Order: sequence, then structure tokens, then C-alpha cells
Amino acid sequence: MLVSWKWLSRYVDLPADREQLETRLSLSGLNHEGTETPSENPALSPDDVCIDLEVTSNRGDCLGHLGVAREISVLYNTELRVPSPTLETSKTDVRSLLSVENEFTEACPRYTARVIQGVKVGPSPDWMQAALASIGIGVVNNVVDATNYVLMECGQPLHAFDYANIADKKIVVRPARAKESITAIDHRQYELDPSMCVIADAQAASAVAGVMGGADSEVTESTKDVVIESAIFSPLSVRRTARKLKLHSPSSFRFERRVDPVGVEWASRRVCQLIVESAGGTVAEGIIDTAPEIEQRPPIVLRLSQLERILGITIDSIEVERILTALGCQSDAKISTGSGAFRAPSWRHDLTREADLIEEVARIHGYDKIPEDSPIPVAPSSKRTFDSATEKIRGVLTAAGLSEAMTPSVVTSKLDKALSPWTERPALSTQTAMLKGAKRLRRTLLPSLIEARANNWASASIEADLFEIAHLYLPGKSDEDLPEELYAVAMVCGGDFFSAKGVIESLCERLGARQTLSVQPVDSPGFVAGQLVRLSLGETSLGYLGVVAPKTLKQWKLPGPVIVAELSIPALLADAELVPQQQIVSMFPSVERDLNFVMSESVRWNELENVVRSAVGQQLKSVTYRETYRDPEKDGKDRKRVLLSVQLQSDETTLSGDDADALVQSVIGACKKKLDAELLG
Amino acid sequence: MSLQNFLSALDSLQSEAIATLDAASDAEAFEAARVKYVGQKKGALKDIQKQMGSVAADDRKSAGMRLNEVKQAIEKAVAEAQSRISGGGESGADPTFDPTLPGVRPTIGHVHPITQTITHLTEIMGRMGFEAAEGPEVEDPHHNFVALNIPEDHPARDPLDNFYLATAATGAEKRNVEGTRLLRSQTSTVQIRVMANRKPPIRVISLGRVYRPDDPDATHFPMFHQMEGLLVDTNVTMANLKTVLRVFATNYLGGDVEIRFRPSFFPFTEPSVEVDFLWDGNWIEFGGAGMVDPNVFRAVGYDPEEVSGFAFGLGVERLCMRRHGIKDIRDLYSGDMRFLSQF
Repeated sequence: MLVSWKWLSRYVDLPADREQLETRLSLSGLNHEGTETPSENPALSPDDVCIDLEVTSNRGDCLGHLGVAREISVLYNTELRVPSPTLETSKTDVRSLLSVENEFTEACPRYTARVIQGVKVGPSPDWMQAALASIGIGVVNNVVDATNYVLMECGQPLHAFDYANIADKKIVVRPARAKESITAIDHRQYELDPSMCVIADAQAASAVAGVMGGADSEVTESTKDVVIESAIFSPLSVRRTARKLKLHSPSSFRFERRVDPVGVEWASRRVCQLIVESAGGTVAEGIIDTAPEIEQRPPIVLRLSQLERILGITIDSIEVERILTALGCQSDAKISTGSGAFRAPSWRHDLTREADLIEEVARIHGYDKIPEDSPIPVAPSSKRTFDSATEKIRGVLTAAGLSEAMTPSVVTSKLDKALSPWTERPALSTQTAMLKGAKRLRRTLLPSLIEARANNWASASIEADLFEIAHLYLPGKSDEDLPEELYAVAMVCGGDFFSAKGVIESLCERLGARQTLSVQPVDSPGFVAGQLVRLSLGETSLGYLGVVAPKTLKQWKLPGPVIVAELSIPALLADAELVPQQQIVSMFPSVERDLNFVMSESVRWNELENVVRSAVGQQLKSVTYRETYRDPEKDGKDRKRVLLSVQLQSDETTLSGDDADALVQSVIGACKKKLDAELLG
Repeated sequence: MSLQNFLSALDSLQSEAIATLDAASDAEAFEAARVKYVGQKKGALKDIQKQMGSVAADDRKSAGMRLNEVKQAIEKAVAEAQSRISGGGESGADPTFDPTLPGVRPTIGHVHPITQTITHLTEIMGRMGFEAAEGPEVEDPHHNFVALNIPEDHPARDPLDNFYLATAATGAEKRNVEGTRLLRSQTSTVQIRVMANRKPPIRVISLGRVYRPDDPDATHFPMFHQMEGLLVDTNVTMANLKTVLRVFATNYLGGDVEIRFRPSFFPFTEPSVEVDFLWDGNWIEFGGAGMVDPNVFRAVGYDPEEVSGFAFGLGVERLCMRRHGIKDIRDLYSGDMRFLSQF
């Protein structure tokens, strides 16, 4: 809201120190955004400045100079001078000149009209032109300027129609007809729909209610008689209409924030007074008012004890009364026995409850009076398991050389279609695109990370190893269900399948996973055949790990190999022992033996490991894979040699060479029997 | 030769040889000294060894022991002189070893600056007894608006200011309508969920992603993070709020930080304020705060006459960017290693 210093001074004596006033306004609710002096803004009179104040959406009353002046008068405890317009009217009854029918009370709760006959349209007086120019409003003529002046004086939008162009001398407030269109005073054509409210005559729409007038009925130099509209249009209707038409005006801005119901008639009177002063003419007797009854607002009880309970300070009852009365509240009696009752002024729609009055007292009294040495009692607060876990995850992954990325939760359909290992249900989407057409709530983090790796490669030839911890949005069964939001950790890196798998193994170990990690190959386009696996911890499905297919990499213009993995964090934590427990270490020496088996290619390492483990039992401390070697000439086709080491140790005694040999023999026997694996000499 | 003579000959050889070797200042002098004393054919040591035969048989053992000592001492002096001359430098260090070459660094990844900021904020608030809480990012209008005292005609609900989800109900994606689900526009939704599931006292912070349709530029991004604090108890005042925020600011910024409240408007708090901190002589907007609106308490089944509380919300990006001198918010979500590797 732009206010002119000179204009304000018509209603209140302004303090000498302008900067202090600006600060006090900021600290009482009208945030000072800036000030323009005549040297910065040539439209200003030499003795004027223009101050920009931010008005919050609950304070429509401050969208006029009078409202701002009232705040100043309350802050500085000075008098507020509100004009009291009086009209000399003709003998002609306005109802004989015009009728108003309101067919859309939902959008227009109240409509008033006055008629001025015999005006002489011309330039408005200099003082009015200077006032409008000071806040950047264009000057038109003495009728239109007067409506704008009163708008910026009290915040009530007004509209002047050329009486001669109102068909059948009848104003109808009604929903727009389907496909109805109007040429607005900006001389552009707007197509309307029945959700919008229009001000029409007997034939056609002449204004979009509360948003903008129409060109056909605008006041011109040839206008003789004018109709002055002062009305209330409902905020929701005006907001939706203005949004749909992408047509925002000072009027729509004020209707959206609600106008003063008492001020409607005052503004009508005020503008008629100003028009007659500069354009002559006579005001017809009376006013057409579709809803003249204004409900009296109920008193609000304010308890001083509540002021203290909420603010933490006591404020003297005399000060409380002064503030509320100066703001326009009315009370029948002084505050007694710790409470008082106040009726909020008609222009303050935001004051309906005790809490609202507490805020009014607090902001005028000053928040600087609230102390900063009022500590809260101590209370325990423990770190969430989830936070401890993600900290460990970040620790392991950064140690493995991966950096944390954050990528947008909403992705393009191209990215969404790339991959969806977790769900078959189609992704949820937003109505409006978030970025570059991205509308899909992602069902996996992997495409985002592959894209990030591709961008790094394209822009700086960096092979970025990245991870991200974020939600996946897995759609529910029905359309209206909230999606399951699954916290996942995903990674993209180079290296090979096993280096990536090793990172995941370390992660599981560091998080204290008690179940063993197992893999199950799955088929999916986009991955090297056989090299995408579902990961499980015991029976719990953990996630996916795979080598991206060269064809897919080509689409991303990425050099290979690229390995990706995505794990469900809840699954990772399902059976985790985040607080490690010490395991007693055997004091007896261990014996390590290398075993080199030749076996069929089809035998998988996990089968071999299981056989070795079950053959020894407790005294087997570890089985370590060393290497695989293939020599078809020596061992035959589809055979391989696997070298492994076993570490044997007893918790009770030193294993003798014979004991160890016996255990090794049972391993050899079991491998032969169960896997047809032969020990090589 | 008597033992006495043999031993004194050994002594003089040792001192002469060591003195000569120590004095050798270049490879040539060293080589001459080496040949002279330990040369295989005509070296002095070899010569004196040959004289062992002339020592009486009974004395040969002592003579041999001493000969060995002298031999070792001279050989040590040779080795030292050699390494001094050929190895260069007083310490005998390898001249090819350049300790000023850069170290071989392990490849360690980087934690995202937003995560670092969130950890920092959580830790500060944790010290004041606030526990972290989380809620869903896809919300219903009840949690995002209704329970937060945002009525149906409030501009905050406008479809153009929110990411409402599309529904398949109409066959085509609907546009610009207030849907039944949306990406949350604030983390205040978590407050509602926490209060609805617990009894006071409540002391939580909620952190997470929130979404608002803003065209991305250096200071705007349609996805960002908020931290919200909520304290509800039987006797919570605005003075408590101011104190907690001042302690928070002092912890986060270091030093004693001045703080001020400016009146503002949020539907879910009354009174509502903007919080400014005095930072390097300028008042910096830090976030919004206020006393929990009675209507919010009623929406979660609390009696506003029994409990009071405060809430505050801060933009994590703004704090992060200011702390690390980040100029463009879009860098945070680029996944660009040239950015990420700086943190």
C-alpha cells in the first residue's frame, strides 16, 4: 500500500521524525518496505514523499489512507480527522431514475447506487491530481478520479457508470451467462462464465463485479448523468473471478480482503460530494441499497488475566482501554473486576475473539515490552532412531566416496517411466507442473540420481557418485488414498556390481542388521540381463541393486558402467541393532586354511558358503571368498575353481592340528556330497 | 709383532681412517679413502689383517676381537660417508623424496549442506528439549488448512498457490481446482498430527520438504524445507517464545543476538509475528511465529482455556544459504558435484 505523506496529513498530525514513524509502523503491523522522495519519483510534489507499507491480508482496513492514519493516531495518541461528507440533494428520487435487482446475493451481499445528474466532465482539481499521482494512479477525469481518490482514501472500491448507457435504467447483479463476454475499460475482451458475478443492465454485462468496469458504460466527456456504485462483493467470488480472468485491480485486491460495511454508504456519499464539488450536477435524493441493515457486532469479553497468560506481561487496564478505544472499539463500561467487553469497529473484520483483542493490545503496546529472559523448564528430548540411523547411513556412504544430493520430489513423466521397481500403480501427479513440466510424484529416486550423474558428466565430465535420502510416493489402492511415503536411500555410482554391493553390505553391518543380506535376480528392462537383483534382509524385502544397461546409458549419454541401488530405510531398520553389543572374543588362537574346490559353474557362492558353514558349525569363525579361476582344459567345460579360506577357532580350548584337520575334512566331505565339489591338491 | 704393537697399529688406523672418511667432501676423496682403508686388494685393513699371523698364538684371540671392532667402525664410517656424499643432505635423506608433494586423499563423499543445516538446527532445538517429529508430505486439506484455521475462502487455499494432486475421477486431469490431496505447503501440518495424537505437554520440531508453486530463481524454488517448532503446556507465554528464539539465534549465529518481533498474520497463530535478528548491523527476517490460535487447539480437541502454546517456522534454505554464502537456491537441488563437493 502506497501512502502519500501529504495525503495522510489531512487526517492526522504527523510526527516530525519520519523515519521513526516508519519504524513504529513496521513494529506495529504495517511493515515499511521503502520510501520515495521527490528526487527519486518526479510524480511527487516537492513537499511530499511516498511510503510503501506492507499490509497483511487480515488488515483490509489499512488499504486506504484513513486506515493508515488511524494506526498513526493510535500509536502517537493524537486525534484522527475523518471527513463527514454531506450532500445537498435534488427533489428527484433516485428510485424514479434507476432500479437495482440483485440476483446473486452470494457474490454480492450488498449493492448501493446513487445518481448524479448534470455533471460536467472535465479535469479534476489539481490537489486531487497531485494526490493520485503521488501514489502512481493515472489521472482520467473529475468523475473517475474522484472514485479513485475515495478508493485510496478509505479502501472502498467505487464505480461510476454513464447513466445514458444503462439500458432500461435497470441494474441487474447476476451470474454471467455462459459464453458471455465483456470489453473491460482496459479495452480487452474477457470471456465470462456463470461462476462470475456481473453488473448488467437490462441487456448486457457492463462490469465484472468488483474486478473491472466495462468500456461500454464508462464515463466519458459526453457523460451528463452518472450512477455511483458502492457495493460489497464477496472475497471468494472476486478472488476466483480475478484469478480466472488474470485480471487483478486495486478493487479486486480490496474486495478480496473485505471492505467496511458501514463505509460502503460513507464512500458513496463522499465520492458524490467530491464529484459535485468539481463537476457540478445534483445528487438525486436517496440511495438504492439492497441490504441497508448492518448487523451490530457482538461484544467481545477481554480478561486482563488472559492478556498476562498469553503475553507474559501485565498491561494496565487504562492502557488497554485507550488502545482498543482508539482503534475504534466501543465499550459500554470501563474495565472492572479484571475484564471488559468491546465491540469491534465495522472495518475490523479480523477482530471477533478475545485472542484478537489480545493481539491488538500487544502490538500497539509494543512487542519490545515482552521480555526475553523467560526460560522454559528443562525437558528430555531424545534423538529419534530414524535420525541416528540416517546419520550412520550418511557416514557409511560418504566414507565410500558418495556425496549426498537432493533432487526434486516431482519428476517429468519421462523420468517416471524410466523405472518403477516398487509399485505397478501409476504415479500420482500434481495439477500444476513443478519444474519444466514435472508433475509426477516420484516412485523411485533412481532416475533422478541417474539424471544428476548425466548432468554432471555433460557439464563437467565428472563421474558423480551420489546418494539421496528422500520419500518415495507409492500410490494407495484407491484414488483418494494418501500415498504411502516410503523413506528410501538410493545411490548411483561407477565401479562394478560388487563394489556397490560391498557398500550395501557395509551399510547393513554398520546399522547392525541381524539378518543376512540375500539377492534374487529379477528381470527388468534398463538393466544388464541377470545383473538386477532384489535385495532382502532375511525375509524382509530391502530394495534393488543393478547394473544399468548400456542402451539406457546411451540415452543418458553416460559412460559405463553405472550401478544403482535403492533401499527401503524402514526395511533396513526393521531388525537392526543400532546400538552395537560387544561379542566376546575367543582367547584361543585361530587356524586358517585355504581350500580350493573345483565344481560345476552352476554352483553359487551362497550355496557353497552355506554348506561350509553347516559342515563346521560353531567353531567356524569365518568363510572368506578369495577368487574364482576357470581352466576348461584342465577341469572341463562349465567347471570352475573357487578358492576360499576358513578360519577355525574354539571358544573353550586351543584347536590342535588334528582338530582342525578333522573340521576341514568334514567341509571337504560335505562339499563333495552336497555340491559335487572336489578339493584340489 | 707384539700384541701391544698390533693393537696400537689398529688404534691409529681406526682414528686415521675415520678422520679421513669424515673429511672426504666429494666422491673422489671418498673413493680414494675407501680404497685406501677397505680396498679389497691393497686396503690398510687387509694389510693389517695379514699381520695377525705374526702375533703370538696366545694373543691372537684378543687381537682378533679388536680387529673386528676396528673393521666394523671403519666400515660404518665408509657407509656414512658414502650416504652423506651420494645421498646428499646432512640427514642422509633420499633427495627424490619431496614431502611438499600433495597427499593422496581418500575419496570421501559430502553431506548435503541442507542436511548439515537441519542437523545443526535439530541439535540446537534438542538442547532446549524439542524432539523431532515428521508427517506426510502429501496431505489432505484438513491437515493443511482446516485444522490450521485456514477457512475455505482464504487465499492460501488457492489452487495456483498449491500443488493439488490431479485425480482420475473426471477422466482427464483437472486443472486449477482445490483437490482432496495436495503437497503440503507448510510443515505446520505436522503440529496438527502431533497434537491430535498426544496430550500436552508437547515440545516438538518438525522438519521437512514443503512445496509452493514459485517460478525458480536465485531465491525461490518450488520445493524447500521448513523447520517448525511447537510448544504446548499449561502456562506458555509469548515471553517464553521470545526467549526460546533468542537462545536459538544466539546458538545458531554465535554471540549475543538481538531479536525483535513485528506483528504479522498467520491464520494458525494469534498474536502472529515476524521474527527479525540483528545480524551485522542489519535486521534480518528469520521467520514467522506466534501463540497457537485457540481455533487450532479446538480443532485437535484441546481446551484453549487450559493450555497455551507457541509455534514458529523458519526457512531452512535461507539459514543454510546465509551460513555458507550460497547465492542461488537452485544450486542446492542441482546434484552438481562442483557444488556439493564444497561442503
